[in-house]
Amino acid sequence: MVKQLTSGERQFAAVILVVLAVLGIAMAAAGRADPLGVHGLIVLLYSGALLYVVLSSFYEREPDLSLRTRYYDDPIKVGIALTMAWAVFGMFIGVWVAAQLAWPNLAFDAAWSSFGRLRPAHTTGVIFGFGGNALIATSFHVVQRTSRARLAGQISPWFVLFGFNLFCILAVTGYFMGLTQSKEYAEPEWYADLWLVVVWVVYFILYIRTLARRREPHIYVANWYYLAFILVVAMLHIVNNIAVPVSLGHAKSYTVWAGVQDAMVQWWYGHNAVAFFLTAGFLAMLYYYLPIRAGRPIFSYRLSILSFWGITFFYMWAGSHHLHYTALPHWVQNLGMTFSIMLLVPSWASAGNALLTLNGAWHKVRDDATLRFIMVAVIFYGLSTFEGSFMAIRPVNSLSHYTDWTVGHVHAGALGWVAMITFGSLYTLVPTLWKRERMYSAMLVEVHFWLALAGTLIYVFAMWNSGIIQGLMWRTYTQEDTLAYSFLDSLVAMYPYYIARAFGGLLFLLGAIVASYNIWMTVRYSPEALTDRAPAGPDQGPLPENVTAPAE
Amino acid sequence: MRELFHRKLERTSIGFAIAIIAAASVGGIVEIAPLFTIDETVETVDDMRLYTPLELAGRDIYVREGCYACHSQMIRTLRDEVERYGPYSLAVESKYDHPMLWGSKRTGPDLARVGGKYSDFWHVAHLTNPRDVVPESNMPAYRWLARNTLKMDDLGLHLAAQRAVGVPYTDEMIENASRDAFGQASPDTEFAAGVTERYGEETQVSAFDGVTTRVTEMDALVAYLQVLGRLTKAPYQNTAAPEQAPDPNN
Amino acid sequence: MDVDHDTLVSVSKSWGLFYLIAFSIGVLIYTFWPSNRKRFDKAKKNILRDEDDKPWK
Repeated sequence: MVKQLTSGERQFAAVILVVLAVLGIAMAAAGRADPLGVHGLIVLLYSGALLYVVLSSFYEREPDLSLRTRYYDDPIKVGIALTMAWAVFGMFIGVWVAAQLAWPNLAFDAAWSSFGRLRPAHTTGVIFGFGGNALIATSFHVVQRTSRARLAGQISPWFVLFGFNLFCILAVTGYFMGLTQSKEYAEPEWYADLWLVVVWVVYFILYIRTLARRREPHIYVANWYYLAFILVVAMLHIVNNIAVPVSLGHAKSYTVWAGVQDAMVQWWYGHNAVAFFLTAGFLAMLYYYLPIRAGRPIFSYRLSILSFWGITFFYMWAGSHHLHYTALPHWVQNLGMTFSIMLLVPSWASAGNALLTLNGAWHKVRDDATLRFIMVAVIFYGLSTFEGSFMAIRPVNSLSHYTDWTVGHVHAGALGWVAMITFGSLYTLVPTLWKRERMYSAMLVEVHFWLALAGTLIYVFAMWNSGIIQGLMWRTYTQEDTLAYSFLDSLVAMYPYYIARAFGGLLFLLGAIVASYNIWMTVRYSPEALTDRAPAGPDQGPLPENVTAPAE
Repeated sequence: MRELFHRKLERTSIGFAIAIIAAASVGGIVEIAPLFTIDETVETVDDMRLYTPLELAGRDIYVREGCYACHSQMIRTLRDEVERYGPYSLAVESKYDHPMLWGSKRTGPDLARVGGKYSDFWHVAHLTNPRDVVPESNMPAYRWLARNTLKMDDLGLHLAAQRAVGVPYTDEMIENASRDAFGQASPDTEFAAGVTERYGEETQVSAFDGVTTRVTEMDALVAYLQVLGRLTKAPYQNTAAPEQAPDPNN
Repeated sequence: MDVDHDTLVSVSKSWGLFYLIAFSIGVLIYTFWPSNRKRFDKAKKNILRDEDDKPWK
């Protein structure tokens, strides 16, 4: 990857990494007796490792600049590798943490491995590690192809990718040490948050400059979603994370928001992280990779525009449905409920648009597991947006809130929609990117598909059952008008479902491992090598050398 | 000419970005802006206490261990919740909570009013190994809390940071933070008196983990759990509560 | 603060409603503006044109 840079760019990259290393040293010095110091060391090691990569090819021959008329795909390739590494890591932690609910001693009496610390490691690993890297990698691909323009920067794509992964590493290692703001899906502490702002600004500038280079007069709708993802996540992230650190030598900080305000800000953030991180960006994948894979244009372009603005506008109001019957003012709860129901319109418009695009190509769906991944993702998108609107209705929420039903709903979206559309997109993207005719094994894609689908269904059904049973037990009265069940009764009833859930998650994890293997083999073996089964030499490995995998 | 065309394109993508922000910011502004004046709608409560340094340290441990992932601190205005956990939570009760810990999931029960329901000894045994006390429990064991000495030297900085975000700690409280943390967990020392003097007579001074020779993280967490729902009596006065506030002295 | 809570809430609600309606009308006009039709059709077909490796610049 360094070979593609001119000597001036190599120097610039080295300067950035030296600055980062100095920051790491400063953090280590300021936080000697604090976990902040450990994070300083991690920053130092991370930038040192990357600096080593840059310096080891520093004096190599400069690249042929005429190649710069081509698409810039190296960062995408590394991004895909990171995506799969985080997928396996995040889902493994997920299975572990699910198993702990059934067998609590699986924490092995250590602080770092207890449920409360592993749980954010799971959510961050899959949402930001897996989902975030997938979004960055595919956005780099889609923006170049739909604009027919090369990325507007040589170093900035690497900065965005590695900077974002540094954020993820700081986040996860922080949880193991007990560093968290306790804000759900925004747990990392103030310095990691500040770093993400820097990364995100570079991401936005890179994206908008690439769009500005485009040859097409119209910006294709997939880019709208990526742009909304980048912009709104920045807005949410900044507002939700305003905090005052205990001191510059402390990792710990206190948010400026208190009580009711904090709850509203937190769920305004939390729900829109679902909207703009886990929906908008993945809809962008849908609007590009579905037409490409099906070989048909999107059914209605106008509908995609209407649903884009609908989603961008409506989602922002819906966060307060997380706070029904709480101390939040009643009118805010009602607004949240109303808009959550209205949200179903643009959501189903998107899902319908996607399914109608497939209309006439059903034979492809039957034969092609990749297209089936995309189709099933759309169906789960439709189902979970319906479920979401339904659960936002106050009386329904009185039953579902605080129970496993919410967890089931989230995973119908996360496994069924987000992960499936990602896998469908990756299976479309990987052969194109590495110039292969197809994936290494179509059979393994098929195996992955069924593992993923079975895992999702088992998981979701287990959580639906446990959640509804739990909710009903809590509110059941005896004939004498007293509560029929103790809390403990409801917990005991959950154990079978917790075991089933861990099993469903395990199937899904196995699927991700199969996918990683399949992608690795696709990359490693060129088509010629496939015919005579001769392994490719190590120097032919198409993955850029010295790729640093995320620390796990 | 080509240059001009180019600039127009650049303008459209920037304009587009602005349109996205305009569309997306409305919902948040409409719902969040009025909350800045919400204090006017919340009854002022005179007896609202602040977390003592030890309780704040315990709260930080509660956050650190991710307790909020399984325990809520928000009793909703539903009959079964009020009968199970106590009077529903009021906005004023978390007005000094940076961050709020309302939670979103009850793998374990709600803790908004757990203060005073169980003895210190019960909490210590339960945190050390929940299954010793509740055989069916799936809560993790937190044995290391009793092993770890509580870091108290920088509690003044924590209080000062809390004050910076709006909690009315006085200079005197900040100055005495470490001493007060020690005193609250060491009833027989000279430092104990200062705690009740600064934070009110209702403050529970106790050797929470039963060991008076040193202050551990267990002391802090139990002190925090014991104050939950007891910072003010307002919820018991303003609502048709079926229960009385637990007596702080038992 | 001079504005009291009730004023802020009502301004917030009415302004929000106005914004919602104005915004929806704007989007509908843009989507169904006759001369945009050709651009949209072109955009949705253009991504399927196979010319990988040949960006404009």
